[in-house]
Amino acid sequence: MARSPTLGISDEKYRHLYVVMEHEEGHLLQVNFEMLGEARRLMDEFNSRYSSEEKVVAILLGHEMRTQCDKLISCGADAVIYADSPEFKYHRNLIYTRVISQIALNKDCSKKISAQYGDEFQRPRFMFFSADDTGRHLSATVLAELDSGLASDINKLVIDDIELKHEHKTKGQVEKYNKTLEMYRPDFSGFLWTTILCLDNRHPDNRKDYHPQSCSIIPGVFSPIPSDSSRKGIIVDFAAILKPADLNVKILSRKAVKSPIDFDSHKAIVSFGRGINESPEENIALIDILKRELDAEVGISLPISKKPYNISNSKLSAYITPERVIGTSGRKVAPSVYIAVGISGAMQHIAGMKESEFVIAINPDTDSAIRDECDIFIKGRMEEVLPILVEELKQLKAIVEVRS
Amino acid sequence: MESSRLNVSVIIKLEPDFSEGNVSYNSDGTLNRAETKSILGPHSAVASMAALNTKIMYNADVSVGTMGPPIAEQALQQSQLICDADELHLYSDRIFAGADTLATAEVLRAGVDKMHGGVKSDIVFSGHRASDGETGQTGPQTAWKLGYTFFGNVIGFSVDLERRLARVTRLVPIQGLHDVIEELEAPLPIFITIHPSYKPVFTTVSQRLTFFKCQKEARDRSALYKNYLKTFTAQTLGVDPKLVGLPGSPTIVYRVEKIPRAKTSRMAEIVDGSKRDQIKAVAKKITDMVKVK
Repeated sequence: MARSPTLGISDEKYRHLYVVMEHEEGHLLQVNFEMLGEARRLMDEFNSRYSSEEKVVAILLGHEMRTQCDKLISCGADAVIYADSPEFKYHRNLIYTRVISQIALNKDCSKKISAQYGDEFQRPRFMFFSADDTGRHLSATVLAELDSGLASDINKLVIDDIELKHEHKTKGQVEKYNKTLEMYRPDFSGFLWTTILCLDNRHPDNRKDYHPQSCSIIPGVFSPIPSDSSRKGIIVDFAAILKPADLNVKILSRKAVKSPIDFDSHKAIVSFGRGINESPEENIALIDILKRELDAEVGISLPISKKPYNISNSKLSAYITPERVIGTSGRKVAPSVYIAVGISGAMQHIAGMKESEFVIAINPDTDSAIRDECDIFIKGRMEEVLPILVEELKQLKAIVEVRS
Repeated sequence: MESSRLNVSVIIKLEPDFSEGNVSYNSDGTLNRAETKSILGPHSAVASMAALNTKIMYNADVSVGTMGPPIAEQALQQSQLICDADELHLYSDRIFAGADTLATAEVLRAGVDKMHGGVKSDIVFSGHRASDGETGQTGPQTAWKLGYTFFGNVIGFSVDLERRLARVTRLVPIQGLHDVIEELEAPLPIFITIHPSYKPVFTTVSQRLTFFKCQKEARDRSALYKNYLKTFTAQTLGVDPKLVGLPGSPTIVYRVEKIPRAKTSRMAEIVDGSKRDQIKAVAKKITDMVKVK
């Protein structure tokens, strides 16, 4: 395993922000452009604040994808380190981890990216990955190899000079950590934000550097910058060293499948949250009736996916599955009509449904956050509102049928 | 042929019990940890089922380990009840406290190395992610430190004992596109995080008989789980104190705050849920929106 070098006073050996790209059979995923957009904003501010010229560097492993590197430059990268091999056509954790770690520690690449900082460079200062399943696993193994810190599922980033004292990091003394990445992570409830820092140990008995400061970023959170083909950048070709042992994971078959839960092909989605808790089984039954009336798909909030209730009806309990979670730790949806039943409106849920065309919330509490995110807020208990709503929908349908 | 027996290890976690009646939330919607009971995490339970599968299909030797306070024994017992474990490991030491994922992975790496009498494991299972932390990082980091090939999102697997090869099937959602199902092959040892949708299937009569035998044995064993339990400290595990707990953690939690409410993005019309005519108007709106487009 690669060990961190021993601590130095200056941070000159850490430069740039490296962003790891993801693709599916050569198709660049949207999250790449979101990560590059945020990287661009952060490093522009960083360079003006610290009078430096550190770069946004995209890392891309693929096969016959070199022409797509320009697109990454148009969308915010100063440089793209591109490694091409038939072995990189599909993602495999083992070989991708090896090569990305090689790239992160490669001085020749960094010299080509920036002659100015090339000689002193040892490691990236910051590193971003996507917080989808592939990026989550990749970030974990790369940072285990690089022996540094990683925060997952980040939705806000700030770079600042921070003064703090910590029981171990600073042995209880106040110390200043310059150019520190504050990584904000919403917890599972969606109500708490935890700021995570990756800091060098300055404890006199256990000095150790921890760079790059790294995180995985929730897809759909940050905005890309407008693509600008006049933006200049360089493409560095990286010849990866592939050992036979790293290549003995064989892909036997691979096929794309439609998720059995298909939010995209329904015009309406009915979602429920912990507000069903007074009588879960009966309330899910009501939601099921509304779902059928509207030919809707059913979504849930994250706390529901933890199966907090015993539902005896197997058809109803099938709704309580992680695949139905809408939000940052689940799917992003944008139906014509989104009906949130007993959902309080935690940020992590809102992120998954805010693009919906028309949002209706059913909730007894007008103070709940969902009120700020909906077009119609029906104040009331679902036990009372849902039966009336279904009746009225049925009547409207009957009228339409008579007319036609 | 005892020497060729498949050695299977499971890494589990004691987690808050999110089921109604056991979970407690503060008035601001956050988890009240002091009042919430703890159980074997649901993803750890799925990993334990995968281990049971290897016992039935390949007569595997199964070890289960966890890092945590002494109370985490409960999770080991619950896991044993599922997978009929032959050995339980608790890694418990005050100096492990405050560990981030990397420092946790270091303890678990040392733990797996101690399983099966110190013989290398062939397959290690862990859960998809913990239901409280949800980073999903500890599994892959432990795998990397062990030097085992890592596979996440695994929904099925089989082992060719003679050729010492494993086949795994993964289900990977690709954001904004589709899901991918892929089948891969790799030499043992491997490290698998099991997808929550995983369900073992036992089709033949002999598999089903073995399943019932294991279930009975698991009940008997877990009633006397302490007979199978070994507890390790940092010292008996042989880990470097600088690589575990706070000293071994690159990251710290700097601040915890309530997430401020986002700016109002829509101006909601408030409808009185007890007024039928008002709900009728909503029904009309919904019907129009769903029909028109």
